[in-house]
Amino acid sequence: MISLNDFLVVGAALFCIGLYMLLTKRNAIQLLIGIELMLNAGILNLVAFGKFDKINNSGQIFALFAIVLAAATTAVALAIILTVYRKYKTIDPGRVNSLKD
Amino acid sequence: MNLAQILFYAMAFIAVASALYVAATKNLVRGIFMFFVTLFALAGLYVLALADFVAVTQIVIYVGGILVLILFAFMLSGRETLNSLGEQKDKLISSGKIPGLVLAVLFFAAMVAMILRVDADNLGWIKQAVTADNVIKPTDNSINNIGINLMTTYLLPFEAISILLMMALIGAAHISRKEPDA
Amino acid sequence: MGTFQPYQQALTICLALAAVLLPLLAFIINACLPGRTNKAAGWVSTLAILLSFVSAIIIFSKLWNQPQLHWQFKWFTIGSTNLYAGMWLNNHSVIMLLLVPAIALPVHIYSTAYMKHDERYKRYFAYLSLFCFSMLALVVADSMITFYVFWELVGFSSYLLIGFWFTREKAVMANKKAFIVNRIGDVGLLIAIMIIFVQSGSFDLNQLFGSYGLIAQSQTVNGLWVGASATVPVFWQYVACGGVFLAVAAKTAQFPLHAWLPDAMEGPTSVSALIHAATMVAAGVFLLGRLYPLFTPTELDVLAAIGCFTAFMAATIALTQNDLKRILAYSTISQLGFMVTGMGIGAYASSLFHLVTHAFFKCLLFLVTGIVIHQMAHIKEDNNLDIDPQNILNMGGLRKKLPFTFMTALIGAAALIGLPLTSGFLSKDGILIQSVSWAEQRSFWHMLIPVGVIITTGLTAFYVTRLIVKVFFGKFKLEQFHPHIKYHISDGGWQYTVPLFMLAVCSLFPIFSFNPFVYEDAWVFSGFSTETGLDRINIFHTIIPVGVNILSVFVIYFAYSVYVKRNSWSAPQNSFLYKLSYNQWYFDAFYNKVIVGGVLMLSRASSWFDHKIIDGFIHLLSNLIIGLSKIAAWFDYYVIDGVSRLLTFIVRITSNFIRYFQSGKIQYYLFSMMAVVLVLFIYLLLDI
Repeated sequence: MISLNDFLVVGAALFCIGLYMLLTKRNAIQLLIGIELMLNAGILNLVAFGKFDKINNSGQIFALFAIVLAAATTAVALAIILTVYRKYKTIDPGRVNSLKD
Repeated sequence: MNLAQILFYAMAFIAVASALYVAATKNLVRGIFMFFVTLFALAGLYVLALADFVAVTQIVIYVGGILVLILFAFMLSGRETLNSLGEQKDKLISSGKIPGLVLAVLFFAAMVAMILRVDADNLGWIKQAVTADNVIKPTDNSINNIGINLMTTYLLPFEAISILLMMALIGAAHISRKEPDA
Repeated sequence: MGTFQPYQQALTICLALAAVLLPLLAFIINACLPGRTNKAAGWVSTLAILLSFVSAIIIFSKLWNQPQLHWQFKWFTIGSTNLYAGMWLNNHSVIMLLLVPAIALPVHIYSTAYMKHDERYKRYFAYLSLFCFSMLALVVADSMITFYVFWELVGFSSYLLIGFWFTREKAVMANKKAFIVNRIGDVGLLIAIMIIFVQSGSFDLNQLFGSYGLIAQSQTVNGLWVGASATVPVFWQYVACGGVFLAVAAKTAQFPLHAWLPDAMEGPTSVSALIHAATMVAAGVFLLGRLYPLFTPTELDVLAAIGCFTAFMAATIALTQNDLKRILAYSTISQLGFMVTGMGIGAYASSLFHLVTHAFFKCLLFLVTGIVIHQMAHIKEDNNLDIDPQNILNMGGLRKKLPFTFMTALIGAAALIGLPLTSGFLSKDGILIQSVSWAEQRSFWHMLIPVGVIITTGLTAFYVTRLIVKVFFGKFKLEQFHPHIKYHISDGGWQYTVPLFMLAVCSLFPIFSFNPFVYEDAWVFSGFSTETGLDRINIFHTIIPVGVNILSVFVIYFAYSVYVKRNSWSAPQNSFLYKLSYNQWYFDAFYNKVIVGGVLMLSRASSWFDHKIIDGFIHLLSNLIIGLSKIAAWFDYYVIDGVSRLLTFIVRITSNFIRYFQSGKIQYYLFSMMAVVLVLFIYLLLDI
């Protein structure tokens, strides 16, 4: 079958890609997508290890919870982005750099 | 090499490639659509990891919910947002990205090194699980398992999640409310 | 009289002290009086001198030709040497003690009128009293040290008085010259004192030079001078005599230190009369008299030669001078030369006798010139003329206008020439005759001295006649040059005539001897007879005076004819001899060039040295230090401050760099966090 290492490596790759996006993108929505990627990489890890716990099945259930949380996060984040845009007229995170207006 | 492994590598490749495309593109719309692809590939990977219910849940919530939400929020925001969002610099690799790139690569290198060192297949508890036959088999009924566990072992987190969802709903609605003065 | 009773001695000493100290008291009182022209000053000084004179007469009567009186007290002690101060009253001292006030009194009375309009009247009399005090103290001083003190003090008073009108450039230069030349003499005297002290261990004049004194007892044996306390090579004896001679030459204006006396005529005429004719200049001869036993026969010969030469030279210069006072100044030098010659040939008594008589008639002549100059100055002021009131070419025919002055002048002039019936005749005779007999006993070359003396006598007659004739006879030249002047001159009040009268009386023979023709009968002479061979050789004693006087009469007539009758022969004014005489044998010019020029050159050189080298060295040092400080400043600025500036620079760059992390950009923050996490990760990786 598929070894555990492979899953973990794929997960690591996705996580790093998501990290890259988070660090270098100038668009708030792209940042959001980066966060999503990182979350997905984590969920992949959970599922990969969940194969070895049949009784409690904690891996898969935890993965479910994570997906739900990701959804909630995204919703709230979009609302924030909207509000930020209204105030700063831009969604470039580099430009939103002052606490006071 | 059996079919599962080939499929696994294919899915993995698609997932990583599309993720790379999403990271590299400046066009937001294209990025979002490639993200679609990534999510689907990930769902396939879940299936290969014998977590079929999670895969379906991923498609339903992630693709059908989150991504659509993003698309709608982006597209219904008006012309100004479109304009400001659409414009990016023309250079492929601008100098500001290099630190991030380096960091990401190093991170990846560190993680891979850790993974290889850990050698997950030979961890103690995993071996125990294998010998105790605690492993999910492809012929198991995962929905049954999930359902029972959700209502007994994991009831508390289940309820907490629901409350959280409600809070998120109210919060998002409040935050994005338009000011009455406009 | 036998020995003194103790109280009489004490009385004499008190009188002597009074005589010496009264002028000092007058000086102090005058210095304290208010106002610059306080007329009381004159009377204070005159009174003091009068009282001194009276005391001097009393002392003289008590001590002349009596055993000498020596009183002293211990002044201070250095180591094992005691120094005494006190008075030594023997014949020398009492005759001078009498002479000085006798001359000073007429001069004081004269000065009260002469200086009446001067704006520093009080100061003048203060100085005059100071001088009288120092001269009187000089003649009674008993120790060489006190003698030296008063010797210098006399020179100093002379300096003050010569430069009395110190606003005049010439007066200032003259008194500087006088003082400097006197200093040379003082140095000589000091050296002599020191040598004598080393050699004999005593400063006391009585002990050294008295009749059986230490010096007289010292001998020269095998090139060593054996004395009471030490034996030194005989070379030092020559040095000592040289020192004494130098002192005498400076004070008494002998060659080569005579140049100051003509210039000293810049002072007031009464000062010239007192100091530079009668008293101070005689101090040198007095010194010779005191220190007579010191000289060896060879040195005495040298002394005589120099004295004779000086007399001759001064007489030749006086022939052509036109300034009234300068003629008399050179005449003084000439007569002093006589006195020194007299000392040199052993006519010790005649020399001192001549000193006394010369004082009187020379003072008289100076006072006469004072009156004449005074009247000429009046004429000059009244008519706003631009003439020199002292120039005899402007005078003439004054005998009708100043009759009394003229008569006394004639008496003084006759005494100076040495005509019979005057005191001058007696004293000059003594020197002349003794010079001949002295020379007879020696080699041919010694005959030059009496010959020189006789020639000088002739020259003296000539220039004195010229003086009298030019001033008092003939027509008044000034009137001829400036026809329209009006003048009114006369003899002056009692303050002028009484002193002249007193001095004229003393210039005639009766005061000194009852026999006008025989000098040995003079009481002054008999007071000083020593044992040097003075046998009367009859031929000389008759021929010489007769011959010399006939010569003098011829010369007088000759001068009269030349100057009054204008009979041809006279040396043309451009001839060499005339020029030589007129320019004082070029001595002044020589001294000026060589000595003054030399000293100035030396001072210029040392000033250059000081300026360039010593100051230059200091400038070099300071520049060096400035350079060092500049280097230090550079070092401080660039290196030391550079370090701190470097530090600040580093901090600034670092902070600029670090500032980026606080930019407020979220992604940067995230980046930093992730970087740290990565580092930890790697650290863990590597360590496990």
